[in-house]
Amino acid sequence: MLVQFYNVSKIYPNGVKALDDISLKIERGEFIFLMGQSGAGKSSLIKMLFREELPTRGQIFVASRSIVRMKRGDVPKLRRNMGIVFQDFKLLESKTVAENIAFAMKVVGASGREIKKRVPEVIDMVGLNGKEQSFPTELSGGEQQRVGIARALANHPLMLIADEPTGNLDMETSQGIMELLYDINRKGTTVIMATHARELVKQAHKRIITLDRGKIATDSPHGESLL
Amino acid sequence: MKISNGVYFAREAAKSFSRNRLLSFATVSTVTICILILGMAVLLTMNAGLFMNRLESDVQMIAFLDKSLNQRQINAARDKIKEIEGIKSVEFISRDKSLEQLQETYGREYDLKTTLGSNPLPHTFKIEAHNPQEVAQIAQQVDKIAGVYKVNYGQGVVERLFQVTRWVRIISIAFIVVLAAGAVFLIATTTRLSVFARRKEIYLMKLIGATDWFIRWPFFIEGIFLGVAGSLLAVLLLGLGYQALLQNIGSMVMVTLISDPVLLGQIYLSLLATGAILGVLGTYISLNRFLDV
Repeated sequence: MLVQFYNVSKIYPNGVKALDDISLKIERGEFIFLMGQSGAGKSSLIKMLFREELPTRGQIFVASRSIVRMKRGDVPKLRRNMGIVFQDFKLLESKTVAENIAFAMKVVGASGREIKKRVPEVIDMVGLNGKEQSFPTELSGGEQQRVGIARALANHPLMLIADEPTGNLDMETSQGIMELLYDINRKGTTVIMATHARELVKQAHKRIITLDRGKIATDSPHGESLL
Repeated sequence: MKISNGVYFAREAAKSFSRNRLLSFATVSTVTICILILGMAVLLTMNAGLFMNRLESDVQMIAFLDKSLNQRQINAARDKIKEIEGIKSVEFISRDKSLEQLQETYGREYDLKTTLGSNPLPHTFKIEAHNPQEVAQIAQQVDKIAGVYKVNYGQGVVERLFQVTRWVRIISIAFIVVLAAGAVFLIATTTRLSVFARRKEIYLMKLIGATDWFIRWPFFIEGIFLGVAGSLLAVLLLGLGYQALLQNIGSMVMVTLISDPVLLGQIYLSLLATGAILGVLGTYISLNRFLDV
């Protein structure tokens, strides 16, 4: 079991109840869509996975370790097991494609040799050969998101967490990104993706968890809830 | 810290320094001014302290003895005085010696012995206390000893002197503390701008799994560098200024300034270290908020 939520609730200081008594389990190797309207609690749930937020009540285990009881000093170790993909890519504009990926490896203490070997591998994986020395501003939205995914993969994560990764992209480009994510999942990485895009999710036949006002409305193993 | 990381930290610090040249210049100038004022305050306080110590150590008691005492009784009185706690030295001054000293003060023009007929002065003890602050209390005890009819220690004047020296010290320390706090605040503000400009990068580093120290080091190196550069400039100015002061005032009789090169070196080094610490402290304060992800 990779992730376990037990009766998790999150109430923000302003009184907003983002999550209400959520329990769920995620196995290694699963591909999960997290759906729901804005404010349904998707982002809060995602942020708890990498401990940017803590629950107000309940317990969360990732790879058998409690996130709630975890010491601050152990948080970096937790995050090194995860690759995070953002809706707005969060690339460093002053660095090239290769440097953006190398940066992610450098900050977790990878050696120069490891970096030299791994960067071309992930660039190849996301199909950006030839763009190594381009700056993010010279790339299309889809290409920028591919850099974001390559960066997330660089440190061999157990789990890829993507918060609306296609939110800023058109349908065709989004489908390209989805193919890439399915491919990554086929190679063994667990993928958890929050999204609005019903069209993309429909064809996937993957597990879909739908949130509604902080509660789990449906949890269908093969996406039946959208059919 | 791994060597490859050290190189990375230094490079990041240098990059940030050259990227924010104007801001770096502002920080260095701020530190220079703060350390310069701090240094002047320290030198002023230490010199004032030296002056006060000298004033204080001049405080002594004179115990006047009854004229009727014989040598044995005088010795007994001396032993009793020595028994009092806190006494540093007791010196017997015979009435003849006192007259001689008085004669020296007035000059050889008039012969006091012939003018006065006989010697009117009593035998005295010149008493020094280990701690000048205890003089008043010791004087009271000496006064009670048989054979002593009066103790003089500049009553009133001494108490006022101690009051003044105490306030001078308190005010100097308060002044230095306020200045140091001001310097930290200014450095924190300057660093905050530089950290703020890189807040997205810091957030990203945190989410990727960088430790707090990995993120802090480049900023610390930059902070230390700015602090030391600023204080070095200040120490240079201060050293030149103080040396000039020593050469011009040092020869005057009434004023003695601290001129021990070892002590001055220690002061300058401490100011340099203070610059570095201010740099680190300022960086630490502004950085912590952004690390809480």
